[in-house]
Amino acid sequence: ESVDPQQTALLLRKAWTLYSVTPLYRFRRARLREYARLLGACIAAEKQKGLAVEVGAEQDIKVALSSLADLRGSELDQAALLVQLSSRSQASSRNSEDKLVWSGWFCSVFGDDLSENMPEDFTSLPLFLSHGAESYTALVGSWFQKTFDCCFRRLAISPQNLSWMVAMWVGCELDRAASAVELVFSVPRLSHPLDISYAIHPEDAKALWDTVQKTPGEVTQEEVDVFMDCLYAHFHRHFKIHLSAAKLVKVSTAVASAHCDGIVKILHSQYLPGVLMLLTELAISQIQ
Amino acid sequence: MDETVAEYIRRTVLKIPRDEIKMMLQKWGFLSEAQLQTLNFHQMKDNISQEVVQLCEENSADIKQAAVLDIIYNHIYQNKRMWNVYQMKKSGDELEYFDITDFKKKFKGRLQSALKNVTITFKVYEDNAIWIRVAWGTPYKKPNQYKPSYVVYHFRTPYVFISASVLKSNMPLLCQALVVASNYHDICEMELRSHSLKSLKDIVFKRYSQNLQTYCTKPLPGWNVEPENADIRIIHENRSEKERIHRLNEEVFGSGPQPIIEFAQYRLETMFKSDPKMDVLDKKEPFRCLVRFSSPHLLESLKSLAPAGMADAPLSPLLTCIPHKARNYFKIRERKGLFPESFVSP
Repeated sequence: ESVDPQQTALLLRKAWTLYSVTPLYRFRRARLREYARLLGACIAAEKQKGLAVEVGAEQDIKVALSSLADLRGSELDQAALLVQLSSRSQASSRNSEDKLVWSGWFCSVFGDDLSENMPEDFTSLPLFLSHGAESYTALVGSWFQKTFDCCFRRLAISPQNLSWMVAMWVGCELDRAASAVELVFSVPRLSHPLDISYAIHPEDAKALWDTVQKTPGEVTQEEVDVFMDCLYAHFHRHFKIHLSAAKLVKVSTAVASAHCDGIVKILHSQYLPGVLMLLTELAISQIQ
Repeated sequence: MDETVAEYIRRTVLKIPRDEIKMMLQKWGFLSEAQLQTLNFHQMKDNISQEVVQLCEENSADIKQAAVLDIIYNHIYQNKRMWNVYQMKKSGDELEYFDITDFKKKFKGRLQSALKNVTITFKVYEDNAIWIRVAWGTPYKKPNQYKPSYVVYHFRTPYVFISASVLKSNMPLLCQALVVASNYHDICEMELRSHSLKSLKDIVFKRYSQNLQTYCTKPLPGWNVEPENADIRIIHENRSEKERIHRLNEEVFGSGPQPIIEFAQYRLETMFKSDPKMDVLDKKEPFRCLVRFSSPHLLESLKSLAPAGMADAPLSPLLTCIPHKARNYFKIRERKGLFPESFVSP
């Protein structure tokens, strides 16, 4: 199902920091406006305390909470919840527009594993994505933790999961010219650290993946391993270096890019649900 | 003194770390020792630079003198810039006597006849290198002093090191002026780039230690020992493997310190080959890749890969050839014929 293009525009092409979130206790959709007011008051109070969050702290922070009804996988999923912090400069409050300074959203895309057996008072939105100053993330996060008794944890992405992502995304059909498929490796423990960027022409990468993948629409661990082994072997043939022994830290394709520190950028609206499904799965395994 | 010159001097002094300002002003020699004594070097840099500007005002500094200070700064902090290497070519074999005055005159003449607004400054250093600073203008605008190009020409060699300004359109003119002034007939850009000017020089002047011609069968002094309390048989096996790797490494890299370069880039246009059993890609066209290695000290980093178990020894010649091929940008194609495993680098 497609998501409202205006909503997706907010989500695409931004670098999101990922967290897993345990279920929210006694979260009520009907009370979004009230929550926004409470969160706004909390932020204002922190500012009063002198915990300056941003340069230009004279600005008022306005909080908006909204539901993204279409952003979910199945009926079992909760609709995504978007939190936006905007500032309006006090200097020109007459007809100036609000400037978005921070956004974060909770979502669940095919998070059935968790939501299936969820007791009534709990809402399952295991994946949280934030964009903006870390200080705001901390404020919003601790308010949610206090209010709904949940727990946020940074979501790291292992090299194995990064491999899975790059294999899946390489295979995606794209209507316009794709950017290169890039894998970035790091070898930190040498006397002088080494970074290796291995970028492959997207058509050639896709051609390779297409011969590896046996069933369209399905991806197996074995296929991902074969694909990566092929790339490692090609590299080894030229440089005699075992890339498999290096640490895969980042993968980039025209569909999305992901960094092992748990930072993701989604570039293509068609594959937004697919990427979120993968990330939801990762978040759930971290919670369980 | 011109306001723009004053501002330029002020900003140049601000760039210098506070405890080096005195030394640099002394090297500059434009302010007298007496004037330097009046400066308080323990105050904020902002104030120091204002005072320096005032003294320069007393001496009526112009842009030419200010440019010399800039060269001195960039000579000391040369590693802040990215340097490209160019090689000039002579038609004949004549060894001409290098006349510095003649060079300067011809260089200036060529540039100024093409571009009215240009600031050219020379400084000769003891290692037979002439540093040239060029600030570029247009027929209608005065030169932009904040984006100059720097040229380092070792005049007993065909090599020129250029740190171009952002305005790349001036490169052809700069190259032309160099060729004309030095009595060569052509100049071409080598595929060699680095922040470390000294390392670039080491590479083209072959001043790093070359590969050993013969190898030693026993480890070189200072070689690490294995941990104690380990099984004797395991130690011996590991040791001979470690020695083998060490020896091969020394063969390809040499035993001395490596020149410092920060990256190497390979554009691969070779075929993808795989185990036929794997039933994967078997295209007749190249598998196009762009590989980029980066490190604060790339060659030492690569040298440590095999001992760390991350690479085979000896390492691929594509990597070990960097210093003696004097390049860090490569385009690799498949070599057709008998040995499909080997590569051609144009």
